[in-house]
Amino acid sequence: MARAEPFQVRVTDLRERFRPQREWAEGRGLLLILAHFLTGAGTAAWIFAVPFRLDSGLAFGFVLAALGGLGHLLFLGRPERFWRMATHLASSWISRGLVGLTLFLITAPLYLLILLSGARETTLAVLVLALSLLGALWTVIYKGFVWASSKGIPLWNTPLVPALYIAYALRGGIAVLIVLAALGAHPPAWEPLEPIKLWLAVSTGVLVLIYLDVMRGSGMTALRSVDLILFGKLAVPFYVGAVLLGLILPIAIGSFAYFGELSRWLLVLVGLFSLLGDLAIIYCVAKAGIYRPLPA
Amino acid sequence: MRYGMVIDLKKCIGCTGCALVCKAENATPPGVLWLRVIKQESGKYPQVRRVSIPLQCMHCAEPPCLEVCPTEATFQRANGIVDIDPEKCVGCRYCMMACPYDQRFYYAKERTYFPDHPTPFELAGYQRHQTGVVSKCNFCSPRLEKGLDPACVANCMTQARTFGDLDNPNSEISKLIRDRGGNQLYPELGTNPSIYYLPP
Repeated sequence: MARAEPFQVRVTDLRERFRPQREWAEGRGLLLILAHFLTGAGTAAWIFAVPFRLDSGLAFGFVLAALGGLGHLLFLGRPERFWRMATHLASSWISRGLVGLTLFLITAPLYLLILLSGARETTLAVLVLALSLLGALWTVIYKGFVWASSKGIPLWNTPLVPALYIAYALRGGIAVLIVLAALGAHPPAWEPLEPIKLWLAVSTGVLVLIYLDVMRGSGMTALRSVDLILFGKLAVPFYVGAVLLGLILPIAIGSFAYFGELSRWLLVLVGLFSLLGDLAIIYCVAKAGIYRPLPA
Repeated sequence: MRYGMVIDLKKCIGCTGCALVCKAENATPPGVLWLRVIKQESGKYPQVRRVSIPLQCMHCAEPPCLEVCPTEATFQRANGIVDIDPEKCVGCRYCMMACPYDQRFYYAKERTYFPDHPTPFELAGYQRHQTGVVSKCNFCSPRLEKGLDPACVANCMTQARTFGDLDNPNSEISKLIRDRGGNQLYPELGTNPSIYYLPP
């Protein structure tokens, strides 16, 4: 019944004291989760690829962000009106995000074209690169605020969510570059990336713990959401995806790098596990969203 | 002027007539419930109490849905009613996440109550509802423009609902709120809902 008749599910939900949000986590809502993951990892990959001069990272970061943008578009009920989303910059984080992402999606390919033409050091290249970095940084930052400004869902309505999303986006960007570097595009390039990756993995792990602990003490609804993640139907994606693949294995394997050289395929695994973990935590946080019980 | 509503929980018998008449008046499709009535039980046998609580858009003075809407499809009328322009809505559903009262509904695709074909009522009524957009209660704005009360108020058999101007201290609803102690849902969120509940 649950999948075949979504409107029936909605009616059933309305009878529940704790009603799950489904629009941003089920059906086409999965596109939104994927879009947030891809735009975060893609734009962060762009940001980190610039100082390390990883041109393939730039290209791949742009492709990921473009796919994420497409995911955002396909999620909309009326995608043909998407341009209207830039009309409420004063208070809507989606509006603000659209502007940042659009800036990135226009300037990033332009910069790639400039690179292809060999004019890397020109003033125009520097200007376009600066604008693309601004768009990328904006995209990394805005996503968490979209979730955090949702007053209906106590689990998200906290300043910790933007911090979590920024940390995961940066981690995702590094992971993308590590995979690319290990696959041979830039063989020695992963060496400076690995310590950053390890540091981000550890700090993100701590941030997740703080987030869940704080939300456990943030009222009945948030507590229920956290219980869903830790002990309920989201326990498998959380422990296997976010904790084991996303944190424990990358930290463990990353730590070995200090004692000896890591093989290329192990690095690819670290990157892929880390990306899967990022996707898992975004999914868990979205799916665990529950509305406040009514009436109060 | 700020339109508001008082719902007397002592008078409400939970007949769900308001929910039905809302459906009839606005021809909302399946799964779209601009108004619903929830039942709450408390106490232990033999001292049990059952209260029926009608829920709909609270038409907040400080609506979080309006704040987050990226297209300005959600807007607030001069009379305080929070409404949606379906021509501007892109169906991002951000407002649904922002509404602490879960009173917004997304109409994904056309549905009818009966299999195979829509009824003549559905054929006529569903033209008012676009797919791929969010909708909600608008205090029956078309009725208000004709000088009528919202359908749920006009048809409540126990007259549990009172509609009027919250800004007018002499209006009936202002007096009811003052004299009987009207409560808003989640006042701590700072949304300042325009619907008040009188204690059962």
